[in-house]
Amino acid sequence: MNVALKYEGYHRPGDVDQTVDILTKYGNKALVIAGGTDVLPQRPGRNNVGIGKHLVDIAHIGLDYIKEGKDCIHIGAAATINSIGAFPLFSKMPYRVLSEAVACHSTQTIRNRATIGGNLCNASPCADLALPLFALDARLVIKGPKRERQIPIQDFYIGANLSALDNNEILVEICIPFCEQKAGTSFLKLGRQHTAIDMALVNVATFFTMNGQCCDTVRIALGSVGPVPFRAKKAESILAGKLPDKENIQRAAKAAAEASAPLDDIRATAAYRKKMVVILVRQALENSFRRYEV
Amino acid sequence: MKKINIKLTVNGEQHEMAVAPAERLVDVLRERLGLTGTKEGCGEGECGACTINMNGQAMLSCLMLAVQADGATILTIEGLQNGLDLHPLQTAFLSESAVQCGYCTPGMIMAGHALIEQDRNPDETKVKTCLANNLCRCTGYEQPVKAVLKAAREMRRETDV
Repeated sequence: MNVALKYEGYHRPGDVDQTVDILTKYGNKALVIAGGTDVLPQRPGRNNVGIGKHLVDIAHIGLDYIKEGKDCIHIGAAATINSIGAFPLFSKMPYRVLSEAVACHSTQTIRNRATIGGNLCNASPCADLALPLFALDARLVIKGPKRERQIPIQDFYIGANLSALDNNEILVEICIPFCEQKAGTSFLKLGRQHTAIDMALVNVATFFTMNGQCCDTVRIALGSVGPVPFRAKKAESILAGKLPDKENIQRAAKAAAEASAPLDDIRATAAYRKKMVVILVRQALENSFRRYEV
Repeated sequence: MKKINIKLTVNGEQHEMAVAPAERLVDVLRERLGLTGTKEGCGEGECGACTINMNGQAMLSCLMLAVQADGATILTIEGLQNGLDLHPLQTAFLSESAVQCGYCTPGMIMAGHALIEQDRNPDETKVKTCLANNLCRCTGYEQPVKAVLKAAREMRRETDV
C-alpha cells in the first residue's frame, strides 16, 4: 500500500443529490475525485496526503455526457478530456478551439481519465481547458444543497487554486452556447515539452467575429500569467469596431501583455512570459481572423 | 479506515477483495496479485511505467485508486502473451532492440497495445503521440516507435491472412 496516501474514507454516491448530501456532511473534509489525475500524484514533500479526507467519487453519477441541446452544448463535469476531443462538433469552427486545447493537455494516456470538471475545479491558473471556455463564453452549472446556480466561467476563478465552489457544491455541467454568427477561434500553448507534467508557460484562446470590415466581438483569454485565467478586456476593446489589421492586432497583443501579471518560477521568468503573451496573442488573433475568412 | 469490497477482472481472471481507500490500482496489481510486470516509476503520472489497459484504454495505474477500478476489465503486460507465444508487440520490442534496462518496457508496450487495438495502421506521429506519456532513460525513443509500427504491420498481416 502506498504510505503517503492516508484517506479516511471513500464514498461512491449514485447521483448528484447524494453527492451534495455527502459533501454537506463532510464539509472541508470531503475531497471530490473523478479521474484522480490531479488528486493522486505523489510529489516530493507531499507526504501524508489526504489525512482525514473523505474521497467522494463522482465517476458514477451520470456526468460523463456531451450532448447538443436547444441553444447550447452540454458537457457533463465528469466527461473525460479525450471524449471532448473526440466529439465531432468540436472539430468544427468555432468550437475547434476546445479540441485544440485538448490536444495540448497533458498526454493521451492521462486524458483517457482526466475530466474537464477536474481541470476546471482544480482552479489552476494554467488549466488548458478553461481558456477555450472563456473564449466561447461558457456557463457553469453548479449544484448545492439548496439550489442550482449558473455562473459565467469568468466568475468561477476567484484566486490561485481557488474556485467559486462552496464546500458543499459540485460542478455539474458546462454549457457552451451555440454561436449564431460565423466566428474564428484559436488556442495556443507555449510549453517546454509535451509531457504529462508540462504545464503551460503561457496559454491563450481567442474568439473573433466581424461586422463588415471591422471586428465585432473579440475575446482574448489568458492563462498562466496571473493568479487565475482571465479575459484581457482592455485588449479586446482595442479591437472592437476596428479593422483587424496588423497594427491594431499588435496594439491589442501589447495591451494583453500589460494586463498580465506573471510570476518568476522554475519554468520561466515573468519578463519572458510577458514577451510571449504579445506573440501568442498576436498569433492566436491572426489564426482566428484567418479561420473566420475561410 | 473502512475497507471496500471490489471486483476486478485482470487478464481474464476474476478477483474479489477488500481494499483500503488509499490503495492504488498499481499497489493491488503488484502487491496483492503479484503482477509485478507493471512498474511504478514516478508515482505522479509522468513516466508511464505503470501503464495498463482498463476497459480498452491505456491508463496509468498509479493515478487511479483500486476502488475506482471496481468492476473494470484490466489487462496488464502479463496478459498479453498467449501461453509461450509472445504478443507481436513483445516480439517487435525484442527484435528492434527497444529494450535496455526494461523498466519502461511494460508501460510502453501497454500504451502501444491500446493504440494498435484501435488502429491497425497508425502512422509514426500517432505512435509518438501515444508513447508521449512513457519515459525511457536508456534506449531513447526511436526503437520503441519502430517496434510499435512493426508490431502493427505484423498484426495487419495476421488479420489479412
